[in-house]
Amino acid sequence: MKRWRNISLRVRLTLLYVGLLALLLAVLGGVLYWDFQNFLLESTATRLRAQAKPIIDEAAAAPLEHAQTLARNLTSRDTVALIIGPDGETVAVGKTLPEEPAPPPPDPAYDVRALAGENEVTYVAQMNGQRYLVLLIPWRSAPGSPDILGVIQLSTPLAPIENILLRQKLVLGLGMMLTLLAGLTGGLWLTSSALKPLNQMTETCERIAEGDLSQRVNLPEREDEIGRLAQAFDHMVARLEAAFAAQRRFVANAAHELRTPLTAIRGSLEVLMRGAQDDPAATSRLTQGMYREVVRLSRLSEQLLDLSRIGAGATIHKQQIDLQAFFDDLLYQAQLLARDRTVTLDAGDPVTILADPDALMEMLFNLMDNAVQHTAENGVITLGWRTTPESVQLWVADDGEGIPADDLPRIFEPFYRGDSSRSRRQGGSGLGLALVQALVEAHGGRITVESQPGQGARFTITLPLTMRDVDPLEKIG
Amino acid sequence: MNAKDVNPATGPRILVIEDEPTIIEFLRTGLGYEGYQVAIAPDGRTGFDLAGHQSFDLIILDLMLPDMDGFDVCRKLRERGNETPIIMLTARQEVADRVTGLNLGADDYITKPFSFDELVARIRALLRRQGKHPEQTILSVGDLVLNAETHEVSRAGEPITLTPTEFALLELFMRHPRRVFTRETLLNRVWGYDYAGDANVVDVHISHLREKIRDKPPRLIQTIYGVGYALHPEDDA
Repeated sequence: MKRWRNISLRVRLTLLYVGLLALLLAVLGGVLYWDFQNFLLESTATRLRAQAKPIIDEAAAAPLEHAQTLARNLTSRDTVALIIGPDGETVAVGKTLPEEPAPPPPDPAYDVRALAGENEVTYVAQMNGQRYLVLLIPWRSAPGSPDILGVIQLSTPLAPIENILLRQKLVLGLGMMLTLLAGLTGGLWLTSSALKPLNQMTETCERIAEGDLSQRVNLPEREDEIGRLAQAFDHMVARLEAAFAAQRRFVANAAHELRTPLTAIRGSLEVLMRGAQDDPAATSRLTQGMYREVVRLSRLSEQLLDLSRIGAGATIHKQQIDLQAFFDDLLYQAQLLARDRTVTLDAGDPVTILADPDALMEMLFNLMDNAVQHTAENGVITLGWRTTPESVQLWVADDGEGIPADDLPRIFEPFYRGDSSRSRRQGGSGLGLALVQALVEAHGGRITVESQPGQGARFTITLPLTMRDVDPLEKIG
Repeated sequence: MNAKDVNPATGPRILVIEDEPTIIEFLRTGLGYEGYQVAIAPDGRTGFDLAGHQSFDLIILDLMLPDMDGFDVCRKLRERGNETPIIMLTARQEVADRVTGLNLGADDYITKPFSFDELVARIRALLRRQGKHPEQTILSVGDLVLNAETHEVSRAGEPITLTPTEFALLELFMRHPRRVFTRETLLNRVWGYDYAGDANVVDVHISHLREKIRDKPPRLIQTIYGVGYALHPEDDA
């Protein structure tokens, strides 16, 4: 069985197919041949009986002495008659000319049946390697009379029939061979054409396994199962390739972000060791700089860790939050962060939502921080919420410089920073908005942004209110 | 002790165009100690203007700048006919970036995070290539003469054989006359940043060096008690 599985699917399918075909042909051919042979024998027997009947009828009344004449009358080029007496002894033999076939000896087992009155005894006898069809006809004193004088044995050699049958066998055999051959080629062709895309996919898989994710099967359009499999496969590889590219970009960006603080720290240390350490003022300046960079590095690594933790789906502990109380608390801190900027609250209907309070605070605080970075000293920042039957929307809007249309689709990408972000701010990691997005998505929500350059930006977090129905902790509590 | 004490108005002038404050700080301090006059531009536009108004011997240009990037600054400077040698600081390792930079007229690049020693070496090499402010290869204090290229030292015409460590110590002192070096700084600069030995090894080598150059009181290499060592030419006293 194991060896069978090691043979290629193509050969297995073909073998199975050809095997079934051969079986079918053998059964059909056998039945056909057998039927034909019976037909030939029966029709010969019927013909002989029909030919003999008038002659026997004519001789019916004649006594046994006429047996010789009757036998002679019944004998022809292909048929020989033999008359058997009631005791099984041969009474007369019709064969007189050499070209007439020799009769096979009477077979008492059959003769008894005919003597008992059975009209249609037919059998095949063997003599000198020749086969003969033998018919036994009871010789009655009158047609239909139960009085049986003896048995007339008519025999004819089977050679002509056998010749026909042999030809038939040859034709059938040849036909079967041809059909099987056609079946084999057709089967091989069919299975190869059906399996070729599979082989193509295997080759593609192997190339992908070697590390080339840009490979695709790219089958010509086909709507069958294999076509759908190939499409699904290509789609999957495309998604994987995109995911890997994003991962590589993320790591490259992370490494890039590490370079600047590392350069600053390394350079400062070298300068200190080369002699600046002997000057207290220079030492203090360089040390402060290094401290800033280390803080920046720790913040960066913390945010990276947060991102990967949220991505892995941990750390969300939901509880009931009264939004009014939550925003009152946030507003106070936001005002500290915003300094001279005005922070206003656009409160919605009182509502309690199920969310992780720390995560919610981090989302809004990051958005606040982002708004402060992009708003003038006298700008206005608005926080607020609204509820709909299915969801609650929380937003942070500002009247700052806005976001260029080119940047909009990319601002949630880790490490992506618009030019303005880069110039305004030192030490930003470029992970803030990515972190907000990850937190929002971990809550089953989504975040959107609307902005026109010069007219501020508005970040909206939409959280589903139905979360309470699916949270397992809520059910336990 | 301050950058201005060393080669007051004569050191090569370097313009640093860089926006990261900590990097600015160590470049300003470190290059100052090496005897360069350092000017800082915190963004591309300022840097470009400064390079137009004043003359510099070398420009250190960061590729990632808030307003216009380093490539732009470099191209515009070259378009305006400014041929000041430029070293680019890049955080990217892509060959394409380096090629772009060099094609735009940068003379050299160095990848972050870089070693300050390497940066100094590249600055020296670039200045040497330009033929401006050639580095002194023959240093002399009184009748003590040191050839930095051939590693030969002589006093009053008599050759003196020094070990590599002693030679490095003497060269450091002669390049920075009157500057006080602490034992730690000498260890870092002569023995290397990762040397883990005792600071007393400095005293031992200084005493051997003094013996070999027949440094008798009033000494050239003076011990500054509680601080370190400094070289004072005889005419100082």
